Parts: sequence; C-alpha cells; structure tokens
Amino acid sequence: MNNTADFKRPTRTPEFEKRLAKRYRAERTFKLMGQGAIVFSVAVLIFLLGNMLVNGIGGFQRAELAVPITFAESGLTGDEVSLTAPSAVQTLEMQGMAEVVQLFAEKALGERGADQLSDQAWRDVAAALTADPALLEKTEPMIFNLPASSDLASGLAGEGSPEMRALAKDLVSQGKLAENWDWAFLSRSDATSPQAVGIWGALKGSIFTMLVTLALAFPVGILAALYLEEYAPKNRWTDLIEVSINNLAAVPSIIFGLLGLAVFLAVFPNLRSAPLIGGMTLALMTMPVIVISGRNAIKAVPPSIRDGALAVGASPVQVVFHHVLPLALPGMLTGTIIGMARALGETAPLLLIGMRAFVATPPTDLTSPATVLPVQIFLWSDEIDRGFVERTSAAIVVLLLFLLLMNSIAIYLRNKFEKTW
Amino acid sequence: MMKARDVSVYYGPKKAIDEVSIDISPDYVTAFIGPSGCGKSTFLRCFNRMNDTIPSASVTGSIELEGDNILGDSMDVVQLRARVGMVFQKPNPFPKTIYENIAYGPKIHGLAEKKPDLDAIVERSLTRAGLWEEVKDRLDDSGTALSGGQQQRLCIARAIAVDPEVILMDEPASALDPIATAKIEELIDELSGRYAIVIVTHSMQQAARVSQRTAFFHLGKMVEYGPTSDIFQNPIEERTRDYITGRYG
Repeated sequence: MNNTADFKRPTRTPEFEKRLAKRYRAERTFKLMGQGAIVFSVAVLIFLLGNMLVNGIGGFQRAELAVPITFAESGLTGDEVSLTAPSAVQTLEMQGMAEVVQLFAEKALGERGADQLSDQAWRDVAAALTADPALLEKTEPMIFNLPASSDLASGLAGEGSPEMRALAKDLVSQGKLAENWDWAFLSRSDATSPQAVGIWGALKGSIFTMLVTLALAFPVGILAALYLEEYAPKNRWTDLIEVSINNLAAVPSIIFGLLGLAVFLAVFPNLRSAPLIGGMTLALMTMPVIVISGRNAIKAVPPSIRDGALAVGASPVQVVFHHVLPLALPGMLTGTIIGMARALGETAPLLLIGMRAFVATPPTDLTSPATVLPVQIFLWSDEIDRGFVERTSAAIVVLLLFLLLMNSIAIYLRNKFEKTW
Repeated sequence: MMKARDVSVYYGPKKAIDEVSIDISPDYVTAFIGPSGCGKSTFLRCFNRMNDTIPSASVTGSIELEGDNILGDSMDVVQLRARVGMVFQKPNPFPKTIYENIAYGPKIHGLAEKKPDLDAIVERSLTRAGLWEEVKDRLDDSGTALSGGQQQRLCIARAIAVDPEVILMDEPASALDPIATAKIEELIDELSGRYAIVIVTHSMQQAARVSQRTAFFHLGKMVEYGPTSDIFQNPIEERTRDYITGRYG
C-alpha cells in the first residue's frame, strides 16, 4: 500500500506546472502569429489600394484652358431643328466651328496659348450647343474649360520642354490654365491623346463580356455540379470526368485564348474582338471553378434533409431543386464570385482573340468590337506619351471599383440565401 | 393493411434481414425491438422503400399495401411514400417556415390547390400532432427554431399532412428528453386507429407502454412476434427471454 503522506498526484508536481506554463505560452504564440498574419495581409492590401488611389487621383483630372465664347458674336447660325438633328455636329463643322473656337481662344489666351488648345476641343463646345440650342442666342460670354494639348499638360505637370513649362506657368498665373476634375473620363472612350481618353469604352466592354461569361458559365456549371453529385453513377467514367474538370481549372488562361482563336473565331470569323467571343472564352475558363465549388456546396447539405424530403414523397428532381439547391446556393455563389473575379482581370486569352484593337467608340451590342479594362490598362501602359501614366492608374482604380461592386452584389445575394439548418 | 412475406434485405453480398414475414394493421401499434445492429431499422425502411437510396441494398420477397405489391416496378415510389410516411430518429424539419414544412407534401402531391384548403390541412395536421396551440401564432417562424420535442412533433405533423395510411417511426423519441418523450408516446396513442403505426425502439419500456404487438429481432431474423403483454411476460424463445431480462442489449 502506498504511503499517502509521500504520494503526490502527478498533476500537482512542479514539473507539471512548468509544462502547463509552456502550453499557455504556445497558445499565446500561436494567437500572436495569427494576428500578425492578419495585420500583414491587411497592411499589404492597404498599401496596394493606397498606392493605386494616390497615383490614380491625377488620372481623374486634366489640364484645361478657360476660353470665354460669346455665341451671339460668333457668326454661327442654327436653330432648334438643325442643332438637334443627328448631323448637327457636321453642320457646325462646315460652318467653321473649329476656327471660331480658335479665334476666341486667341483673344483670351494669346497666340501661343491658343496654339496649345487641343485640336478636337471645339467638339466639346459643339456638344454643349447640340444639348442646348438656346445657347446660340446668348450675348454674354460663356466660359468653356477646354482640354489643353498633351504637351501643355506635361508642361503643367513640370515635365516636357522648358518652353512648355514656362508657358504653363504663365497661363496658370493668369488664371487661364488649371487642373480640373475630369469626370467625363468616365464617359469618353479610347483616343490618341491622353487628354482625350476615357474609360467608358473599356468599361462597357468589360460589362458586356462579364454578362456573357456569367450567362454561360453559371447555369452550365451549376447544372453540371448537380448532375455529378446527385444523378451520376459512381463509376470509372464519372471519376474521369471529375479529374478532367479539376485539371481544367488549373489550365493557364492563355490556352483558353488559343482555344477561342482556333474554335470560336473559326466558326464566327467576323466577330473578332466581340464581347460575345470574349465572354465565351472566359466562360470556358470559369465553368470548372463553379463546378468544383458547387459540388462541395452540394456535398455539405446533410443527408437528413434529403431523407426528410424523400419520405414525404418528393421525386429526386424535387429533392434537388426544392431542398438541396437552396441550401447549396451560398457556397455556389462564393465559387462564382471567385471565378468571375478571375475572369474580370484576365488579359492574355482576350488578347489572343483580338480584343486588343484600338476601339474609339463603346460597343453597341455583344457583336461589335470592344476592349476590356485589363487590356485597356495594358495598352495605355505601353504608350510613350507621359500623360498616359496617370490615366493608367485611374483605369486601375476603375477596375478595382468595378470588381468591388461585382463582389458586393454577389456577397449580398449569398447572405440573402444563407439559411441555418 | 400491409403484409410482408419472406422479406430479405442484402447489402451487397451480406444478408441483413432473413426471410421475415409480418402483418401491419391500423388496429394496433406494432413495435420492433432488438439489440443494436439486429436489422430492425433496415426492415422498417423496406416498407417505404427508403432502402432504394442505398446503392448496394437489394430487397427480395413481397410487401403488399392494401393488395398492391410495393416492391414491384409498377409501384410508383413517390406515391408509395405519400401513403407510407416516416419519422426519423433525429428530428429533421426543413429549413423553411413551420407552415411551409407542413404544406410542402400536400403541395407537391397536388392535394390542395387553393390557399384556404392548404391552411386547413396545415391546421388539421398540427392539431393532430398536438402542436397547433403552441405554434398557431408563429407559423412563419423557421421550423428549425423550435425545441427538439416540438421539431419531432412538427415532423410527425408533416408526415400526417399527406394523409398516409401507415406511419413508420424509427426511434422517434431517442433524441428527446423524458417530458418530450412522454408527449410523443401520448401522440402515438392518439394517432393509432386512424393510422397503422410501426415503431422501432431500443427501449423495452417504451415498447411495452406504446404498442399492442411486438416483434423481437436478432441478427436479421424475426425471432418472436406476438401480443406485447405475451412477449414481455411469457416469451417463448430463450433469446427473447434473455433480451427482455437484460442479459444482453
């Protein structure tokens, strides 16, 4: 029999206390490592976004010259009818609108200043007139902020030739040249001068392409996932299909571009650069991701729900669509978010199918030539003119905002369908 | 009402149920008792062909519902399950509202087209399950927000809503506390007569309280079957006696 006075419980010895302290230390270390990882990730994210925002702010502004124009003295003629007709701009052009604007510019800015007016600047004035023909009657001068040439814009930014820099400084001190907010950046399309470019063409192209991708990849992916999980027999063929789909999700995206070029453009040769073809190519790339996440979401639905539905007399299709699908939908939407976000940022496959052309007008429908945001960013970053640097950053900001919007919609939908079981 | 004759169930090559024959009637509650793994749940699931969901399972013999052979190809499984309902061991209400839980069955079988008819069915089912008073003011609450005992009564109400002829209960009270269990047993008593009830239970006391006929299963065979009082007071087979007296379980 043990002597109870000497017997010490193993949990009361000093060795145990030391081991206990070690365990608590390990807990704290692990917690700190986790927090450190989160802080690091957030810091990188903030650095990235902050960098983009700071560089992109400049892209939303542009150098503009203030030109007062008195329409009553301009010698331009027109009325309600002629100025709202589709050919109104041509009519104004034939009346010599460009020279009229140049004259007023020389009066206000001097000859050297007027030289640095963008040669398409008169179009902004024409746009104002066609929007409001009554302006033609005005006897007071109206001030128009017209885009300067890209040389003068560089001068304003402190780069370019010494004459330009001096001219810019001069005009600024006279209050005639300023860096203004350029919200029209969001409604114009691609152009040759950084002063005249806009992001709307690429943004609309991205929207169209994303719509096509979603319309093709989501239903096909979801139905494939449902079939593979609920109906397909478990044999060697379905194993092969599963392995193939998993591998498809890992294929480099440029291969899908080659596929699009070889197959889709061979069938529709006149649809090069169209969002329809771009969307089809990206849908091929996105579908495997949706199938994989869809299958995992369906596997997570407990069999008790299915048994309950079967026991009440639901057919297999009813079990799937009334019970399994609603419960699996949040997981499927998560997979869709991931797939669509990847598709939005893809450049390589779209370059191969031709969405890299210079497209100066936004696409009118799914079959007109278009470009997408990442390709536009790529093309602008290649330009020689220094004015394009800020525009590129601004385009990146627009891309990030679009991505944020898309993800927010998907997260909202996912939370709406989230149910507890 | 239901006749099973020489029913055997195989999981692949393994025989889980060996040539069992039994009659089920609404006149009495039938209990299946036996030690774990004896096959009572497997046999119960034959009556509404839930074993079809297990790929390796195959059933031989014949089971008739009011004269129709339910194991034949001509029997529509969906219709069968509307006539033979099931309540599971762990309550499994749908993650929908209480109203929708009950209304789902009648809707998919087309038993009620208009809302007032559906409302009547929901109220009748919940009343018969003894749950109406507790939930009548919150039919739009989620079915999963109820307590365990209420969820199980909801599942019973859901089974009743399609107006079945037979209700199969697979250990319906084993996941519940004693008070909820008592309520379920009371409910079984009320429902008997209108529906043919078969209950699988691992509690002999519950079988004794609730049923009028009892079948004792052991290793896939039905060892003894008879009136509950006989099985518990005068069992014929030695294995039955050993189980009843707690020699093994």
